[in-house]
Amino acid sequence: MVRFLAGKGVQYALVLLFAVTLNFMLPRMMPGSPLVFLAGEDVGFLSEAQRTDLLRSLGLDQPLWRQYVRYLGNLVTGNLGYSFQKGRPISEIIAERLPWTLLLVGLALLAATLIGVVWGTLVAWRRGSAFDLGSLGVSMFFESTPSFWLGMIFIAVFAARLRWFPIFGAQTPGVSLAGWAMVANTAWHLALPLATLTLITIPGNFLIMRYSMLNVLGEQYIATAKAKGLAERTVIYRHAMRNALLPMATVVMLNLGFIASGATVIETVFSYPGVGRLLYEAVLNRDYPVIQATFFILTVSVIAANVLADLLYPLIDPRVRHAR
Amino acid sequence: MSTVTATAESAPVRVRPRRRRLGVVGSVGLTFLILLAATAVFAPWVAPYNPEETSGGPFEAPSRLHLLGTNDIGQDILSELIFGARISLVIGFLAAIVAISIGTAVGTVAGYFGGWVDTVLMRAVDVVLVIPFLPLMILLAAYLGPSFWNIILVIGLLVWARPARVLRSQVLSLRSLEYIDAARALGASAGRILRLHVLPGVISLSLAQFILAASNAILIEASLSFLGLGDPTAKSWGSILYYAQVRSAFLTGAWLWWVLPPGLLITLAVLGFAFTGFALEEVLNPRLRGMS
Repeated sequence: MVRFLAGKGVQYALVLLFAVTLNFMLPRMMPGSPLVFLAGEDVGFLSEAQRTDLLRSLGLDQPLWRQYVRYLGNLVTGNLGYSFQKGRPISEIIAERLPWTLLLVGLALLAATLIGVVWGTLVAWRRGSAFDLGSLGVSMFFESTPSFWLGMIFIAVFAARLRWFPIFGAQTPGVSLAGWAMVANTAWHLALPLATLTLITIPGNFLIMRYSMLNVLGEQYIATAKAKGLAERTVIYRHAMRNALLPMATVVMLNLGFIASGATVIETVFSYPGVGRLLYEAVLNRDYPVIQATFFILTVSVIAANVLADLLYPLIDPRVRHAR
Repeated sequence: MSTVTATAESAPVRVRPRRRRLGVVGSVGLTFLILLAATAVFAPWVAPYNPEETSGGPFEAPSRLHLLGTNDIGQDILSELIFGARISLVIGFLAAIVAISIGTAVGTVAGYFGGWVDTVLMRAVDVVLVIPFLPLMILLAAYLGPSFWNIILVIGLLVWARPARVLRSQVLSLRSLEYIDAARALGASAGRILRLHVLPGVISLSLAQFILAASNAILIEASLSFLGLGDPTAKSWGSILYYAQVRSAFLTGAWLWWVLPPGLLITLAVLGFAFTGFALEEVLNPRLRGMS
């Protein structure tokens, strides 16, 4: 158990180290002055003295290892740098944006896992039936479809044509709502992006759950349970599904990188004010410090969710709990 | 991930007759691929117009002259789609070559040498698998600048991890076979054994992995182009959708001929590669047989 967590810890530390080091090196390795990437393209208009001042204030006149130490120190204290395009500290901007992404991704993860697990279980039980083959076809289609395109189609049909949902944003602008009215308004804006992200996340969960369930159904204790004359529901849910769920825990977490990627394009399509949309805006404006900070925050979020899952995993799998 | 592999390995072995054919799924996939590849190769003869030229008015609805209408600057959308097959397929193909070269090298070396080499390489694989790949690609593409080769490089550098993992487990099972032991006992160098005895054993599996990587690469290229990070001088299906988004085509009736077709083509190409790859993997890797 301790070894399991320690091994995972090393892995996440490596991921974090990689992300941070990449962020540190990129602006400094590119041809030309790192100032362009760290302070904006306007530095071309500065006088020589102003440039030297700026270099010094950003610590760029110091040896590389000192810059690195300073960079790490800044990250630890939550200083993510300064957006030259928006003229604000990046940590402030991200604090505004992150809750929207967590709401979208959290709900999509929950919905996609539930639907994927139940669907995969039922389909495995009826293996080879028309329901099974149809489900495989549908899930392969959604697995192969670009998420942003699905979002555009949803907007075209359900927002622009039918006018059931709003076209963009997370809340109706210019209207201040409170209580249930605000919740309803937020949910109404969330519906289409959430549906898109959930739909492209289900296939992965569904296919793994089906596969895992097929493995379990081949075990002898399932035959025993059936032979005892237990009801079909009891065999499916109490004997088979519970064991087939174990590999799912790992898969759901591995999917997080995928969902974070999906959220980036889907937030862009729906102009949803999350971190992914921030990343897109930063790319448009060549606001490099923001691109880097967004990448950093998304990586940290994925790692945090993984750590959480690793701590919870022993609760569902006693074999890990008792392993030495 | 290790848990998943462990489950697959401890799965009850189902003995089935060896399959040599691709089956229905594989044949459907291959048909999609051949159709799209033929479109790409014969684009200049199939396309009604040059997609770079203004051949009609802006934002025209479909007519007999322009079957799928025109875009914001009067270019024929059908011709854009036909020529777009070239860019999308070539980028997917080349990115998959980069990915599979790295993946095969890493997987073979890690599986054959084991020990600390294996530990280090598999740690690297885990890092790549955990990190949110699209934000990382956006970061790299933003710094390197959007160009044809940069896109291929960025995609290739991030898609090699899964092939590496699959090929490593294949090499692990090859390594313990007797003819490899015999070669080692005769004093063959590691390089010679890898080249003459191990690589031939993994080459067919890496072909299947190559096809799956290509399907992945096409989808990623579409996402990057859609975010405006694709090659600005080449029109892929993803960049057609980028312009459709920028010009808000999906808010008007134009979504039917400007937004729907490129997405369907991307899906068709991805499905074509995925179906072919899965079928091939199943033919080549007996452990997977009977699971899908």
